[in-house]
Amino acid sequence: MKALWFLIPLYLLPLVVTSDTVLTVLIFTFLLSILAIGFNIVFGGAGQLTMFHAAAFGIGSYATFLSMLHFGLPFWLGFLVAVVVIVLVSIVIGWICFKFRLKEFYFAVVTMAFAELCRLIALNWTSVTNGTLGMLVLEKPTLWLPGSGIVKIEQTTPWYFLTLASLTVVLVFSALLMRSWIGRNFSAIRLNEDLAQTLGIDTFRYKLLAFTISNVIAAFAGALYGFYTGFIEPSYLSVTQSLDAIAMALLGGVSTILGPVVGALVLTSLPHLIELPAELRVAVYGIILILVILVMPRGIVGLAAGFFKRQTHAS
Amino acid sequence: MLLKVENLTKRFGGLVAVSDVSFGIEKGEIIGIFGPNGSGKTTLLSLLAGLLPPTAGHVFWKGEDIAGARPNVIASRGVIKTFQNPQLFSELSVFEHVMIASFLAFTRIKDHSRLSSFLAPGKGEAALRARAEKALSLCRLQGASEKSAAELSYGEEKMLGVAMAMMCEPELLLLDEPASGLGNDEIHNLENVLRDLRAHGTTLCIIDHKVAFLAKFADQAIALQQGCKIAQGRPNDVLADPAVVKAYLGRSHHA
Repeated sequence: MKALWFLIPLYLLPLVVTSDTVLTVLIFTFLLSILAIGFNIVFGGAGQLTMFHAAAFGIGSYATFLSMLHFGLPFWLGFLVAVVVIVLVSIVIGWICFKFRLKEFYFAVVTMAFAELCRLIALNWTSVTNGTLGMLVLEKPTLWLPGSGIVKIEQTTPWYFLTLASLTVVLVFSALLMRSWIGRNFSAIRLNEDLAQTLGIDTFRYKLLAFTISNVIAAFAGALYGFYTGFIEPSYLSVTQSLDAIAMALLGGVSTILGPVVGALVLTSLPHLIELPAELRVAVYGIILILVILVMPRGIVGLAAGFFKRQTHAS
Repeated sequence: MLLKVENLTKRFGGLVAVSDVSFGIEKGEIIGIFGPNGSGKTTLLSLLAGLLPPTAGHVFWKGEDIAGARPNVIASRGVIKTFQNPQLFSELSVFEHVMIASFLAFTRIKDHSRLSSFLAPGKGEAALRARAEKALSLCRLQGASEKSAAELSYGEEKMLGVAMAMMCEPELLLLDEPASGLGNDEIHNLENVLRDLRAHGTTLCIIDHKVAFLAKFADQAIALQQGCKIAQGRPNDVLADPAVVKAYLGRSHHA
């Protein structure tokens, strides 16, 4: 929890930095952090290597926008519809995977197949999703703020604060979750599922819970992302998107609270710091993944935590 | 009768690991199951704990058939098993282990502490923490509570398994060779822990191939050989049983 104090300077940053580019990079960082935190709950927490989080991200943006379009709902109610959709989808897919006791790569492959299925639906159900062309999102989320009433979130600075506040909520939630008995049961499953079961932990139920929570968080990131960019397309559900989030969590450090945020910051800002063509960026992701697994299996945050521990022991 | 096993059979392909075994356990009793390596002791215990589904037969727990139920369901009914080779959550500290093991006790708490422990883990779990410390000191692990499980000695690992089982508040505790690999001092401590559990009304089912260890405790003994029950009764009678002597020594005492 103490680690969350780092958020305070981020709230003050727009007072000092007015560059649109910097704030935009940070907005993308916050949004992708939320996605990576979702992945981290099910992988770093309960040890299940999901490949469905990008699909949840895409479903989140599609379902929110479509329910606004067809039922005339405001953004937050539209997102609530998306939550219902993603909870149902997660329960069906999770039920299938965990009933058949799929683990590790088998679980990854099957969730990836389900994710591809969702992407193909988004791609081919042209009458609803507009297929490859994607959908333009002109609506903006609104917020009620004391003093100024209902505000539309349009400019960069309001988006900065909205996404930062969303990240804060998700971070606090995930920190509380991982410290609670639910999080403890998740780690029991990750470290020794058979033992967890003989201690009375319903591993099926807790894996399903982790998978569902993770997908709801990914859907939240997706909903905000679609409305921030003003554009929703089937590639949101792609395997590349999933791998990006995995790279962020691994680079920052899985099973740590801040890891996904640090990873998202590095991988979102890196391409802006070094001008890279898109093809090379994919190669850089690959190289970073390989290096991280070889050199720092616990990620940047894990490495730093270990370093500080040694320092305090030495002094 | 607390637990009643009827014609329990487990086949792995052509191998019959447990063959048509029946017995019963009364509340508060200590039952010892012994037999040579490969006689089906561990398989029998795994069947009772739900780690393996039986091929045939029934296991009645307080009259309810629990054969083939999932391990967590059986555990939540009050039947807990320890492992011969210690099973641990290697990254976590000893204290975290017993806190994970307190989950069943935690689900039995019917007030609001479950919700409040989500927001403030320390507060909602004060009672459980006190119990965890007690279980650790009983198992002589109080000094190791902040250690990572990976740093423990083999004997400490085994005792941590017992401490975790104690946290589950078992009515029936299935112990798979608890004394194997322990030094004399550690065995002595284990005996004290088992006596304490018994004094608190826990029913124990212990398997071991060290006959002497079992004979000291058990009210009732069962001898297994090649998956079959070959004798049952008071420990000394079972040890003197000609079939048992033959299975153990390969020949009769007097030959």
